[in-house]
Amino acid sequence: MSKDFDVVSNYKSLLLNSPELSMPVAAIQSLVELIKHSNATTMSEFMLSINVASQMLKSSVRNSISLSAGCDLFLRFVTRNSQDVAEFEAWKATLIVRGQSFVEKADACRYKIAELGKAAENHKRFKVFVTESSQTHGGIRSAKVLRAAGIPTTIILDAAVGYVIDKVDMVLVGAEGVVENGGLINQIGSYQMAIVAKAANKPFYAVAESYKFVRLFPLNQYDLPTYNADTLSFQELNVDYDSKTNESGSVSSSAAPSSALSQTALHMKTSEDQASQGSNPLVDYTPPNYITLLFTDLGVLTPSGVSDELIKLYL
Amino acid sequence: MSKGTNDLVDILVAKLKRRQLVGSSAVAQATLKLLIVVISKNNWSKANDLLNLVRSVGQRLIEANPTELAIGNIVRRVLHVIREEFRDAEASSKSDDHSEFQTVPLTTSSSMYNLLSETGSDDKEYTHASHNLRSDIIQEVRDIRIELDTIYENIKNQATNHIHSNEIIMTIGRSRTVEEFLKMASSKRKFHVLVAETAPSYLGQQMALELSKAGIEATVIPDSAVFAVMSRVNKVILGTHAVLANGGLVAISGTHMMAAAAKHHSIPVVVCTGLYKLSPLYPHDEDSFNVVMNPDAVLGFEEGDLMEKVTVTNPYYDYVSPEFVNLFITNQGGHPPSYLYRLIVENYDPNDHTFDPLA
Repeated sequence: MSKDFDVVSNYKSLLLNSPELSMPVAAIQSLVELIKHSNATTMSEFMLSINVASQMLKSSVRNSISLSAGCDLFLRFVTRNSQDVAEFEAWKATLIVRGQSFVEKADACRYKIAELGKAAENHKRFKVFVTESSQTHGGIRSAKVLRAAGIPTTIILDAAVGYVIDKVDMVLVGAEGVVENGGLINQIGSYQMAIVAKAANKPFYAVAESYKFVRLFPLNQYDLPTYNADTLSFQELNVDYDSKTNESGSVSSSAAPSSALSQTALHMKTSEDQASQGSNPLVDYTPPNYITLLFTDLGVLTPSGVSDELIKLYL
Repeated sequence: MSKGTNDLVDILVAKLKRRQLVGSSAVAQATLKLLIVVISKNNWSKANDLLNLVRSVGQRLIEANPTELAIGNIVRRVLHVIREEFRDAEASSKSDDHSEFQTVPLTTSSSMYNLLSETGSDDKEYTHASHNLRSDIIQEVRDIRIELDTIYENIKNQATNHIHSNEIIMTIGRSRTVEEFLKMASSKRKFHVLVAETAPSYLGQQMALELSKAGIEATVIPDSAVFAVMSRVNKVILGTHAVLANGGLVAISGTHMMAAAAKHHSIPVVVCTGLYKLSPLYPHDEDSFNVVMNPDAVLGFEEGDLMEKVTVTNPYYDYVSPEFVNLFITNQGGHPPSYLYRLIVENYDPNDHTFDPLA
C-alpha cells in the first residue's frame, strides 16, 4: 500500500477546486486516485488498502453520510468485480477506467434529475420560498442562484415554515442520504418541514442522486452515525450574554424584515455561536411516511421503491 | 409502415377520437390486437426500428384519447416484452465470447449498479435478428392477450379469501370486475351489498340489478347516504378506471367520497383491477386524467333562465389518493399500494415514459 498518497487531502483539495462537485463523487474520485498510486500486488492487500482509505475518509468529515454512501457503492463495485480477476495489473487498469467513467456518470446524475423538472427553462411561472438555514446560510446562497435564473424567491426564517406553509403548493428538499426504508437524511430542519407539510396536507418531495442511497436503517433521530456524545449536550459557556448589543431584538412585523435577517447573519463569529454550532446536529432523519415521492436519476420513486434498488445492488 | 397496417391504425384512431370505443378493457383489447398486426405485418430487423414503430403507433393512439390510460399501458407492456426478447437473444449470442467483466443481467435497465458498469444501458443496436426472434416476440405479445382474457378468472378466484358470511359490502358504480368478484363469492357465501346509485349516470342502479339477478341481496342507496351508512359496512370493494404509479386511482365520480368515508370509519378499501389498468404515470394535479360529460344530466337544459347564472360541471372521474386504498386485488394476486412500484418496474421500462422516437 502506498504511504505517500494521502487520500483525505486529495479529497479535500478536490472539493476546494470544484465547489459544485458533491461529496460522494469527490470521495470516489479520491479512491480512484488511490488505486492509481497503489503498490498492492495481491487482491487482499488491494482490498484492504481501499477499505482503510474509505474508513479514513469517513472519519475525517463531521457529516459523513453521503460520503459513506459513495464509498460503500465503490467498495461494492470493486468487490463484485473481484471474482473475475485473471491478470491483476490489467484488472487494476480497467478499474481505473471504470472509476473515471463513474465520476462522469455520477456528475451527470444531477442533470438527469434536472430533466425531470426543468421548470424555469420551460417558462413555467412559479415562486420559491427558501429557508434561511441560519447556521450555514445555504438558503441565502440558493436564493442568489435562483434569482439569477429569474425565479422570484423569498428568504424566510427557519422558524417561519409553519407560517408560510398554507401559501405553498409543495415542498422540495435535497438529500444528504436516502436510507433503506426510503427515509431521508438531510440538513437539520428538514424533518420539521416534513411534519408541517404533512399537517397542512402538502406534498413533500425529495431530490437525490442514486449514489446517495445508503445502507442504514435508523429507528429514530439518534440512530444516525453523525450522533455523538457532544450533540445537544448541556455545556457551561464562559460567554457573557448581557454584554452583546441588542441587534437581533424582535423581528419587526412590518418595515424591514430583510435588514433583521442580515443582522442575524453577522452573528456567526461569536464564541457562543461557535459553541452552539459544535453541539447542535447538522442533519436529521425524516421517516418515509412523511415523504410523498423521491426524484432520482433512476426515475421517480415512492419511498418503498428505494429498498428495492439497494437490494439489487447488494444482492 | 405498410399501407394495410396504416389503415388499421387510422380506423382505431378514429374510433377513439369519436369515443366509439371507451372503457379500459375494450380499449386495451383493441390496442393489443392492433399491435400484434403491426409487429407481424411490418419489416424490421433492428431493435430500434421495431421499438420506434410501436412507439409511433402508440403516440397516435394516445393523442386520439389521452384519458384512456389503458392504451399507454398496453403499448408499454409490448415495448417491455420486445426489449426483453432482444436482450435475451443478445445474451444468448454473447454467452460464447466471455469478457472479463461479464455483468450479471439485472432485472431492469437502470440501476445503481449501472453507474459503475461498462456499458450504458440505453437501447443498443441489436443486429442479431433471427426468425425465432420475430415469432418469439409475437408469442409473448399473444401471451399478454391471454392474460387480458383471463383477468376476471384470476381476480374472482380470490373472492372467497376476502368476503365472509354475513358481511356488508359497499360498492359504487358498475364495474364488471367487481361484479364477477361478488358473484363468485356469492356461490360460497351469503352476504349483503350496498350500492351507491352513482348519480348522474346511475350506473349503481344497473349494478344492483345485475347483482340481484345473481341472487345477491343488493340495496341501492343515494350517494349522499354513503357516509351515514358507512359505520355498518365491513368492507368497501371498488372498481377503477385506472391506477396511477403512486397508488392513486382514477375512478368514477363519487369514489373519493366513499373512500374518505371509509377511512374515517377505518373500513378497509379493496380495489379490484386488472394489471393492464396500472399506469406508470404520476398525477400532477387532481384533474390530470379527468373528463367532463354532458351537464344536462346534472342540470337539465329545460332550466333555461337558471343556466345563464350558474356554472354546471359534470366530471366523470374522481382522483382518489393512495392513502385511502388498503389493498389492490389484481390478476397477479393482492398487493398494497406501496408495492405498485415493483409491478411497474417488472412490467414497464423507464425509457418508455414518453413515446418520442428513440435516437
